[in-house]
Amino acid sequence: MLLGSILFFYGQLLAQSRTITGKVTDENGNPIPNASVTVKGTSFGTTSKDDGTFSLTIPAGSKTLSFSAVGMAEQDIPIGDKNSISAALSTRLNTLTEVVVTSLGIARDKRSLGYATQNLKADQFNDRGQVNVVNALQGKVAGVNITNASGGAGSSVNINIRGITSFQGSNQPLFIIDGIPISNDVDRTNGGPTGSLGDNQPPNRALDLDMNNIESINILKGPAASVLYGSRAAAGAIIITTKKGSGQKGRAEIIASSNISFQRATGLPEVQNEYGQGSLGIYNPNSSNSWGPKFGSTPTVANGLLVGGQPVDYNPHPDNIKDFFETGLISDNNISINGGDAKQNFTFSAGYLYQEGILPNTGVKRASVKFGGNTVLREKIKLGGSVTFTNTIQDGILGGNGQSALAAIHGLARSIDLQAYKRNKTWKNPDGSNNYAVIGQENPYFGAYENPLKSNLYRVIGITNLGYDFTSWLNVNYRLGVDAYTDRRKQIFALGSGRVPNGLVMESPIIRTEVNGDLIITAKKNNIVKGLNVTGLLGNNINQRRIQTVELQGDGLSIPFFYNVNNASTLNNGSAEETILQRIVGYYAQASFDYKSFLFLELTGRADQSSTLPKNKNTYFYPSVSAGLVFTDAFEIQSDVINYGKIRASYAKVGRDAPPYRTVQFYEKPEFGNNVAGFNFPFGATTGFALTSRLPPTSLSPEFTSSIEVGLNAALFKNRVTIDVAYFDQISKSQIVDVGVAPSTGFAEVTANVGKMTNKGIEALVTIMPISERNLRWEVSGNFTRIRNKVNYIFPGVTSFSIPGDAFTGSIPTIKEGEPYGVIVGGLITRSPEGERIINPVTGTYLSTLANQILADPNPDYQLGFTNNLRVKSFSVSFTFDFIKGGQILSFTAATYKSRGALKETAVDRDQPHILPGVVQDATGKFIPNNIQIPAQTYWQALGGLQSEFNVYDATTFRMRDISIAYDLPGTLIQKLKLNSVKLTLFANNVFYVAPNAFFDPQVNTQGAGNIRGFDFQSVPNARTIGAGLKVSL
Amino acid sequence: MRKLILFLIILALFASCKKYLDVNTSPNNPTSVPPGVLLPTTTIAIAFANTNDLDRVTSLLVQHIAGIASQAADYDVYKLEGYFDNAWNFELYNGAINNLLKIIDEHGATSPAYAGVAKLQLAYAFSMLTDLWGDVPYSKAGRGLKFGSSPRFDKQQDIYQGNAADSIQSLFDLVKEGIADLDKPSLLKPGKDDIVYGPDTTTNLAKWKRMGNTLLLKFAMQISNVNPTLAKSTIDAVIAGNNYINSNAVDFDVPFGSSVGNQNPLYTFNNLNRQTDQMLSQRLLNLMRSLNDTVRLGKYFTKPTGNFVAFDNGATVTAPTLASRSKYNTFVTGTTGEAPARLLTFAQVNFILAESALILGTAGDADTYYQAGIKANMQKTGMTTAEIDNYFATNPSVVTLAGTTEQKRNQIITQKYIAWIGNGIEAYNDYRRTGYPVLALANNAAGHNPNVIPTRLTYPLNELSRNPNTPNPVTRTDVKLWWAK
Repeated sequence: MLLGSILFFYGQLLAQSRTITGKVTDENGNPIPNASVTVKGTSFGTTSKDDGTFSLTIPAGSKTLSFSAVGMAEQDIPIGDKNSISAALSTRLNTLTEVVVTSLGIARDKRSLGYATQNLKADQFNDRGQVNVVNALQGKVAGVNITNASGGAGSSVNINIRGITSFQGSNQPLFIIDGIPISNDVDRTNGGPTGSLGDNQPPNRALDLDMNNIESINILKGPAASVLYGSRAAAGAIIITTKKGSGQKGRAEIIASSNISFQRATGLPEVQNEYGQGSLGIYNPNSSNSWGPKFGSTPTVANGLLVGGQPVDYNPHPDNIKDFFETGLISDNNISINGGDAKQNFTFSAGYLYQEGILPNTGVKRASVKFGGNTVLREKIKLGGSVTFTNTIQDGILGGNGQSALAAIHGLARSIDLQAYKRNKTWKNPDGSNNYAVIGQENPYFGAYENPLKSNLYRVIGITNLGYDFTSWLNVNYRLGVDAYTDRRKQIFALGSGRVPNGLVMESPIIRTEVNGDLIITAKKNNIVKGLNVTGLLGNNINQRRIQTVELQGDGLSIPFFYNVNNASTLNNGSAEETILQRIVGYYAQASFDYKSFLFLELTGRADQSSTLPKNKNTYFYPSVSAGLVFTDAFEIQSDVINYGKIRASYAKVGRDAPPYRTVQFYEKPEFGNNVAGFNFPFGATTGFALTSRLPPTSLSPEFTSSIEVGLNAALFKNRVTIDVAYFDQISKSQIVDVGVAPSTGFAEVTANVGKMTNKGIEALVTIMPISERNLRWEVSGNFTRIRNKVNYIFPGVTSFSIPGDAFTGSIPTIKEGEPYGVIVGGLITRSPEGERIINPVTGTYLSTLANQILADPNPDYQLGFTNNLRVKSFSVSFTFDFIKGGQILSFTAATYKSRGALKETAVDRDQPHILPGVVQDATGKFIPNNIQIPAQTYWQALGGLQSEFNVYDATTFRMRDISIAYDLPGTLIQKLKLNSVKLTLFANNVFYVAPNAFFDPQVNTQGAGNIRGFDFQSVPNARTIGAGLKVSL
Repeated sequence: MRKLILFLIILALFASCKKYLDVNTSPNNPTSVPPGVLLPTTTIAIAFANTNDLDRVTSLLVQHIAGIASQAADYDVYKLEGYFDNAWNFELYNGAINNLLKIIDEHGATSPAYAGVAKLQLAYAFSMLTDLWGDVPYSKAGRGLKFGSSPRFDKQQDIYQGNAADSIQSLFDLVKEGIADLDKPSLLKPGKDDIVYGPDTTTNLAKWKRMGNTLLLKFAMQISNVNPTLAKSTIDAVIAGNNYINSNAVDFDVPFGSSVGNQNPLYTFNNLNRQTDQMLSQRLLNLMRSLNDTVRLGKYFTKPTGNFVAFDNGATVTAPTLASRSKYNTFVTGTTGEAPARLLTFAQVNFILAESALILGTAGDADTYYQAGIKANMQKTGMTTAEIDNYFATNPSVVTLAGTTEQKRNQIITQKYIAWIGNGIEAYNDYRRTGYPVLALANNAAGHNPNVIPTRLTYPLNELSRNPNTPNPVTRTDVKLWWAK
C-alpha cells in the first residue's frame, strides 16, 4: 500500500547514467585520500583513492557534486556537462560551523554565540519508537534532566534544563515551534475523590507534535540564550524547527514513513510463588496478602484450605501480575511532501499515530495534518505560514494508591487466577458492580474497563510571517502565532466502583488559547570599522494566554452503564468553572558585534509589562551580555592538535511574572476533607463562601534568576574531537511564592517575594570521530551533567513548606532551607543515640517514627549520556546509554510487594522467625542489638509501610536508552525502483536497565511533568519498545 | 515615510497597553461577601472537624471502635505522629476560625447578631483545639499576618482563664461577650443561613443563647480539677440564669445532608470510602453487655448477622469478614449521611450538672440529673419509651448512683461515655479529666509511649514546620494537659 502510493507519486524518468572522474586535493595540491564524493541530495557516491583520484557513475539529471573530508571545508561543484571534475579543498578554519536556530527563530552561526546551546538533528532522535518528543531527547542533551512519568500510554515527561529555578512557577522550558511559543502544559484531571493523585497520568502537550515533521531541535540552556523570549523562557527553551520545502531546489520530495513497534512492561519486581492468599499462614480469599499457607500444604480446616469438607482451589498463578500488562502496539505513519526553492516553497504532512498501551483499555491516537508555505513577493516582501491541526485522544484508566487497578495489581496475591476474570469477562457482576473477593480493592480489570478517563483534544497551531526588506541592511518582520486547543475530558466511575460506590460521571473540558505576536526590526551593518560587523535588533512582543475550564460532576448514578451527567442525582458536588487570562507586552533590543569573526559581543535587554503584577509596578527590565573569543583565530593558533578553540562567557538576568489574580484577597467556595470524606457547598439550598487560604501580598515584584556562565568550545586532532563545556552559576531570588505560613494564622500561605535558591552546574559534551571515511564513519558522543541545587533561604520564620500539588500526608514534597529543592519530608524511625533504629520491646517492630524528617532526595548526583553512531557502507547503527547516579525515590510499589508478601524475598525462610535490624532497650535502659523474633509477615509488614524509610530507594540506573539499526538500500537498487532513497530501520528503546539498588525500575515519576518528583505511587511500570520502520523518499 | 508609518504603528502598540494589561481581576472569585455566606461555612467547618479525623482518632483512643486498616490501625495503637494537618489547618484555623474572626471584625459593629453567634462558635472551635493539643495559638491566631507569621502558643490555663498581662481573653469571657452581642440591635441577622437554629429569626438567637450557656457549663466542668472555684461559680451562674439547653430539641446539632458532598463524614468514611478500616470495639461491647445496655448499643452499632461482631483494639489477628462486622448504625451516620454532628446535648448538660452537684456541690440532685441524662440520650438514640422504662426497671443498679463519690463519678462518666458514642472528642475529654471509664491499653501499643493511652494529640506537621513557636522538642503524647487528672 505504502509502496504503491510512492510509485504513484514518482514522476521522473531515469535516463542514461555517465561516469565522472577527477582528483581531490588540499589547497596546496596534496592529494586527499578517503575524501567523500557524492551527488548532492542522493546516496550516489564514492571515496577518493590514496592518490586522491576517484571515478563515479552518476545518474542523469545530477546537478552538483559534493566533496568532503575530515578537517576540510565541504565544497560543492556544479556538474554541468563536464566529465572530469577536480576539487581543491581548503582546511576548515571555521570549524564547528553550525547554524543553529536561537531566540525568536533567528538562525545563527554557533561560533558567534556566547552561551551554550545544543542542537539535535532529526536523525538523532527520530525512528526510535518514541511518541513524545521530550522522551526522544533522553540521554542526549547535557545540562538537562528528563524523567518520564511511566510507560503508560501518553503519560507526561518531565524536563528541567539546568535545574529548578522557581519555587512554585513552572520549571519546564518554553516550547517554541517555528518561532512561536506553544503549550507544553500538563492539564491534570481530578481523579474523583483522590484528586490528581488518582488520575491517569495525563500528557504534557508536546505529545501533540508529530515528530516526523521535526527537522531539528535546539536546546537553549541558560537565561542568556533565551532572554529574548522573556519571562516565559526563564527555565530555558526548546526550539523546534519543522521541515520546510526550501531546500528542494524546485522539485518536490515525497517522504513516506511507517513505523510499527511493540511494548512490554519492564521493571516489575520478581515475585514468590510458594505461598498464596491469606494471612498468618491461613488461607483467606478476602485477603490482599500472600501470607497464606505454603502451596502443597495438606488442606485442613485450620489452614483454611478445607471448607465444608472440600479442599479449596489453591495454586500459584506465577504470571498473574505480569500478564495483566498487555503487549502494547505503536504504529506511526506519515506522509510528507516538501517542495519548492528558497523563494517559493510549500510543505504538507499528514500523520497518524496509533498506540495501544501496556495497561488494558489504554492508548493514544494522534492524527495530524500540516500545511505550510513561504513566498517572496516583489523581491522585498516575504510571506509565509503554516497551519497544523491535531486530534489527540488519550484513553486512560485511574491510577494511584487506594482503589484502582494499579493499586490492586501490584503485589497481587499469588494464588489469584486474575486472568480468568478477563477470559470469562467476569470482573463485574450482572448489576455492574465490582466482582472481586479481596476486601477493599477493585478487581484490576474492573478498574481498567469500568472506570475509564478519556481525553479528546483538538488543537490548531497557526503561524504567519510577514517580512519586508527596506534596504539590504534593514528588515522588518512580523510573526503571529496562535496555539489553541480544546480538550474534552470525561471520567467515569461505574456504579459499584471502589472509590465512588454510587457512581460518578465527570465532564471537564479545557480550552486553552495562546496568541503571540512579535514585531522584529533587524539592521545589519558590516565593516563599520574594518572587520567590525554590527547587527541590531528591536522588537515588540504581545502574548495572551487564556485557559477556561469547566467541571461538571454528576454524582449518584441511577441507571447502570449509562454514563451521562443526566443520570446523576447530584450535579453541584465538585462542579465549577474557571477562566484565567494573562497578558504580557514586551520590548526588547539586541546589539551583536562581530570583529573579524573571532571576537563576538552581544548585548540584550528586554522589558516586560505583565498583567499579573500590581498595575503601578508591572514593568520590569532584564539585561544580558555575552562574549566569545575564537582564540585559535585571534592568535592564529593552528596545529594538528588544536584546530579550533573558543572561550565564552555570559551574564544574564531573566524576570518571571506572577501567576494571575494574586494581588488581592478573595473568597472561594470552601471544600472540606479529602478522598476519605469531604464536604462541598452548596449545602442543600445554602451557599457557603470562605476566605481563600492564601493571603495577598503586601507588595509584589517579579522574580529574577541571574546566571553567570563560562564555557569552552574546542576542536582537536583535525576536528576529530570536539568539546563543549560549560560551568554555570545561577541565583534565583525574590521568588513569587505562596509561602506557607503557620496554619494558626488562619491561612495556609501568603503570596510574597521570598527566598533564594542557587543552581551550580557543569555540563559537557564531547564528540569523538575516530573514523570518518565514506564507507565507515564512527562517531561517539558523551554528555555529562552535574547540577547542585540548594534552597538558601525562604522567609523569616519559615524554614520549609510543601510544593503545591497533591501529596499524601506523611510524605510531602518540600522546599526546605539548606536542602536541595523537592526533598520528600516524612517520618523516620526513631534512632538510638548510636544511630540504630529502636525496636519496641513489646511488639518486636519499630517503636515509632519521628515526623518532619527528610525521607528522600530526588535530585540525582550526576548524569552521563553516551551515544554511538556507526556507519558501515549502507548500514548505520546508533545507540544511546545513559547513567543516572543517585537521586532517591519513595516507592509505594515496593512497599506493596513487601507488605503483601508477594516479593520473591518474602518467601525466603518464611517459616523461620525473623528479627528486624535495630536495637532494643534492656532492663537497664541500655540499647542492645534486637533479638526479638517475629513472624515473617510481621517482619515484612514492618518494612512495607507505604511511607517507610525502607521504601526509599537509590535511583541510580544504567540504561540502554535506545538503539537503531538502519539500512539504506544501495543506489543501484534505488535507481531501479526509481526512488530517491529507501531506509529500513530496526529500533528499540528502553532496551534494558540495571538499577543496582532497587528491585524495580526507579526511573519513574508518578506525578509526571512538574515540580513534584521522586514518587512512585503504585504506578505504571516503564515499557520497552521494539519495532521496525520503513522510510521511502522520492 | 515608510519609517514614519512604522514608528506610528509601534507607538500605537505601546499606547494601547495600559488597558490591554488591565485584566487581573479574577472572574472566578468575589472580593467581598455578606456574613450570611460565611456563617454556613464556619458552622460546617466545626461540625466537619468534629466528625472527621479528630473524631476517628479519639473514638479509637477511647475504644468506642477498633482500627483494622490504614490510619485507623495506626491511631488504635497510638501512632499519632504526622497526622491531623487537615483538621488543624483547613477545618479549624483556616475553615472556622479565620472566617469567624472575619465576621466579628468586619460585621461586629453593624451586625452584632452575627458577631455573637460567631463568638460562640469561635469559643467552641478553640476549646476543641486546646482540649486535644493543650497549648495552642489562640489570642494571636486566625487574623492573618496581623500578629506576624508565627502566632504565639498560649498556655491552656490562659486560654481557659484568661491572662490580662498577655492580653488573653478567657474562653468564658468570649462566650459571655457573644451572648451579650445577641441582644444588641443588629442590621443583619442570621436566618436561612443559620443551619442549626434557623431559619426562624424570631427564635434562633434565643437558642444560640442556650448554646452559649451550655458551652459555659462544658468549659467549667472541663477545668473543674484545676480551678474548682471558677468552675463552681460559672455553673452556679448558669443554673441561676436557667437558660441552657433544656431538651433534646435544642441540642447544638449541626445538620448534614443526604446528597453527595453534603454528607456526614462518619457516613462517607465508614460506609463508602473506608468501609474496611474500623468497626465496633470488643471493649465497648463488653462494657455494654455488662450493663445490659445492648438495645442502646444496637442504635449505635449494626448487627449484620444478628449478633454484635466486634474487634479488639490493636489486635493483629485477621478481622472478621466485612459483611459480618458491627459498624456505626444509622443513628450515628444517617441512612445516607444525613445524621447531624452532635456537639452539645441535653444529655451532656444533665451529666455535667450531676457531676457538678456531686463534686462541686452545685444546686440540684446528682441522681436526678444522672437519670435524666441517661434518658435524654436513650430518647435521642431512638429507643422507645417502653424500652427505656424497661431498662430503668430492670437495671436499678446501673441507673442509680451508689458507693463512694469516685464510684458515683465513674457511673456518671461511664454513662456520659456511652452517650458520646459517635463523638469521641467529648468522651476523650472526659476520660482524660476523670480517668473514667477505666480503659486498658490497646494490644501492640506503640507511639511515643506504649504504656500510656495518649494524653494529647501530636502537633500537625505544617504547624510544626512553619511556626517556630511550636513547642520544641515536640510535646510527647504522655504529657498530661493542664486540666487533666
